[in-house]
Amino acid sequence: MAETKSITVRMYNVGFGDSFLVMIPGANRTHRVLVDCGAHSLGPGPVSMKEMVHQIISDVKDADGKSRIDVVVCTHRHRDHVSGFQNALWNRVEVGEVWMPWTEHPTDGLARRIREAQSQRAQSLNLALARLGADDGMMAIAENSLTNARAMQMLHKGFLNVRRRRFLPVEKKSGRSFSTPLLPNVEIHVLGPSRDENVIRDMEPTKGESYLQFLLSRTVSTSGRVRPFREDWIMKPGLYRRSFGHMELTKAQQSSVENVGSGTDFDLVTKLEKAVNGTSLMLMFVCGRAHLLFSGDAQWGTWSAALADPEWSEMLSKTTFYKVGHHASHNATPRAFVEKHLSKKFSAMVSTRFVKKWPEIPRGPLLSALRARSNRVVRSDESDVPDAGGFKRKPLYVETTLAV
Amino acid sequence: MRFMSISKPNSGMSRPSTELAPPPRRPLKIFAFDPMLARLESTRVISIPIMNEPLRPGPQGSRVEVLDYDGVNECFYPAVDLDDPRVLMRGGLDPAEADPRFHQQMVYAVTMKVIENFDFALGRRITFRGRRLRLYPHAFLGRNAFFDPRMGAVLFGYFQAERARQGPNLPGQTIFTCLSHDIIAHEVTHALVHRLRPHFRDPSNPDVYAFHEGFADIVAIFQHFSFDGVLREEIQRTRMDLLKQKTPLAELAGEFGQATGKGEALRTATLDADPQQYERLWEPHDRGSLLVAAIFEAFFLTYQRRIRDLLRIASGGTGRLPEGDLHPSLVNRIAGEAAATAQSALTMCIRAFDYLPPVDVTFGDFLRALVTADVEMAPRDAHGQRAVTVEAFRRRGIYPENVTSLAEVSLVWDPPEGNLPMFPTGLVEDLASAARNLGRLPTQSNAVASGSGLSDGDKRKSKRYIALLSSYAKANASRLHLDVKLPIEVAGFHSSFRVAPDGQLLIDIVAQFAQCDESTKDELGGAPVRGGTTVVASSDGAVRYVIAKPLKSGASTRVKRAEAAGRTERQMEFVERCDQMDAQQAWCSDPADRNTRMLRMHNFAGLHSS
Repeated sequence: MAETKSITVRMYNVGFGDSFLVMIPGANRTHRVLVDCGAHSLGPGPVSMKEMVHQIISDVKDADGKSRIDVVVCTHRHRDHVSGFQNALWNRVEVGEVWMPWTEHPTDGLARRIREAQSQRAQSLNLALARLGADDGMMAIAENSLTNARAMQMLHKGFLNVRRRRFLPVEKKSGRSFSTPLLPNVEIHVLGPSRDENVIRDMEPTKGESYLQFLLSRTVSTSGRVRPFREDWIMKPGLYRRSFGHMELTKAQQSSVENVGSGTDFDLVTKLEKAVNGTSLMLMFVCGRAHLLFSGDAQWGTWSAALADPEWSEMLSKTTFYKVGHHASHNATPRAFVEKHLSKKFSAMVSTRFVKKWPEIPRGPLLSALRARSNRVVRSDESDVPDAGGFKRKPLYVETTLAV
Repeated sequence: MRFMSISKPNSGMSRPSTELAPPPRRPLKIFAFDPMLARLESTRVISIPIMNEPLRPGPQGSRVEVLDYDGVNECFYPAVDLDDPRVLMRGGLDPAEADPRFHQQMVYAVTMKVIENFDFALGRRITFRGRRLRLYPHAFLGRNAFFDPRMGAVLFGYFQAERARQGPNLPGQTIFTCLSHDIIAHEVTHALVHRLRPHFRDPSNPDVYAFHEGFADIVAIFQHFSFDGVLREEIQRTRMDLLKQKTPLAELAGEFGQATGKGEALRTATLDADPQQYERLWEPHDRGSLLVAAIFEAFFLTYQRRIRDLLRIASGGTGRLPEGDLHPSLVNRIAGEAAATAQSALTMCIRAFDYLPPVDVTFGDFLRALVTADVEMAPRDAHGQRAVTVEAFRRRGIYPENVTSLAEVSLVWDPPEGNLPMFPTGLVEDLASAARNLGRLPTQSNAVASGSGLSDGDKRKSKRYIALLSSYAKANASRLHLDVKLPIEVAGFHSSFRVAPDGQLLIDIVAQFAQCDESTKDELGGAPVRGGTTVVASSDGAVRYVIAKPLKSGASTRVKRAEAAGRTERQMEFVERCDQMDAQQAWCSDPADRNTRMLRMHNFAGLHSS
């Protein structure tokens, strides 16, 4: 049958988040891969995440009525990629393997250091922002990086009958590519996150402890702040002006000094978001002619390492399906990849939705550039242009088939 | 009272014939490096002679003022009066971390030292366009200090040291960035570079901000070598090897690095030369350190060459020095050579400014400017310092664009193409008369009168120069590679007076013209493609150099047009690269922020830890 010879990729409309189900034809049954399941707090989908999880779990039922997924992939621990895994129902789903980035390895020293740095930063930032009364857009970005402990617990310890958990790529050079009996005839290439020191540097939150101190200092009364000198050195502005009248310091200049560091909160929040994105798994599934690229939310560090590698660069040129990175923001899909690699007829899926606070996502020119090369580019939230032939749109998802 | 009359000439109290001239220098005490290094070695508290000027409490002088406003605690700390006899008799306040007035003194002293180095090298008195550079020694809580061009101020932060891995500091101790010589010198250099080349604030290629950072480090490091006592001690301790032995002379911000948990100084000058780094390093401080390394290597090799004869004498020709301490006289002579070499390296770097293009600087441009300036000043290159500098750049893969070879003659900027008319002579005369004021000590009365602004007479003159230069530029636009249809900005003009090593007086007139292609501004994130030309003329008005980085529309030769096209291309690539690395843009709530994103990503307030 012709139909069994093609791969189906289904993109659930989770809102501002990701959840993809890949169905690969096998000899006796269809093999399933679930890539991520989560949504941003500020960008929910048309139905609640609970309903969506019910839907997914029933979509993966076998003839015997049992839900089975061969591989669950967690690209990275951001809320908009994992929040759906908080649901205890997943414990009734049989899962063969769980794949996570190497930074999730429970005992690897470097992985732990990175995780701890990220989660500590997320906690202190959230605390500082909450105390400062930051706006909900900023809070939502900051919350996204919180540990999402219950979801991660499910991925690390939950599901039914998990045979193996892989933390990718494994350190050995041969770990770049592998296959598993659960997905016959499929080769998996792990393009990221690399262990290259430049990429790792992108994962560690930038130094900003003192700015956090600074932010927090704003939330305590003046008397509780760090005082550099003994009390008796302090001169009130009025007295200073009377004593040193030749110094001209206007109110505006004075407040410029007081406002040093404003905007730092936004800077820290977005850099942390980027640091966690830097841990994203970037996978290429190869099955016959089909080359499916799931780049998670990988950003420049991972991408540039992949593009610089001759073998991978060649493989990227064969992409037939691209999960557009990071909800189609400007910096998760390099222009070089679009212009130099995406030359063949490809399908692309953008899991995103418009959130008023973040008008730059999805980035218009990126969508236009993709569509200029292929008419098979769809969004999860709306059919803003008529879907090309071969796409099937249902209320909760859109799917397509790919020739093997 | 008698004391006061000495510092106040013409007060009428004393007869002119017996009046004492004001002392040319004012000794002030500072930490040679910072409090941590001073604690480890008592000789690292030093006194430096600063050019004397009347000071009001602050200190507030004619060019800088220290404003001790603490923006976190929203309070002031009392201003030090360095003209107070009790302070004068001590040669300045003694170092005390707990006394904000000492902090003010140190910030003032180091700042003036940097400014004097620029004055000396550039042969003119650098002013901040009629305003005073402001220094806030305790502006905010944070591990940072930065120059803010908008405020015309350097702001220093203070912070608590790490509670673990704090190095030789107390856990949680308050660390003041304003007590670090290197941090002060670094930040003030940013202010001076900005004063001399305001368009170097535009991130148009990866070298621009790296140049700012590297240059600021160079000034901070080379000033160490003017600290006589410390230098002699380090020469004794390292047995003259200022490179292999770890010495604070070649390091930057020791206390800051330790207190922030880095376990070492913030940055170190090294000689490692890897040509790939120039391709790979993008972060401005990292990339700037290549510039520092090149200059430091040239310094070190020249220093070795200069002390070779002393070594021979001291070792009886064997080159091997006897065990034990070096003879103090030998140390003195070696220190003299090290200091002279360092000063010469620093002067060479600063002097290059007059020969830099007004926009879009690259390390290669800096090398060409440095070579040109030095050839003009000292054609002979007696110690070979210029030659080793070129070699040190080459070893790091830094080549100027569009030169045929690294020979001196190719590196020197090109003479003007065709015949350029003389610079306006009225201008030349005016500048020459202005020059008579060079180095003259401001008296109490004129310092007060001039206040913080330009006098009306100066403003009128300045307007007249600008008009003269503008019409000159328009009349000769094509030979200066300027687009006559676009506005031409006079980005700066001055004359400089220098005495060459051979005793010759050199007078230069330098003017910078700049223009920009506004249509590229939004797309390039707020930093449009700029073009511009620096013109260097002799005192008789004859134009000697035309250093042009034109816009495509302004380039009047095929070669220059190709260069211009290449520059635009490079800037677009740079912007794209920055976009890829930018974390913020995706989350901006106002799409118009895109049009200023490059300015947002690049500013001097960037954290000083990488």
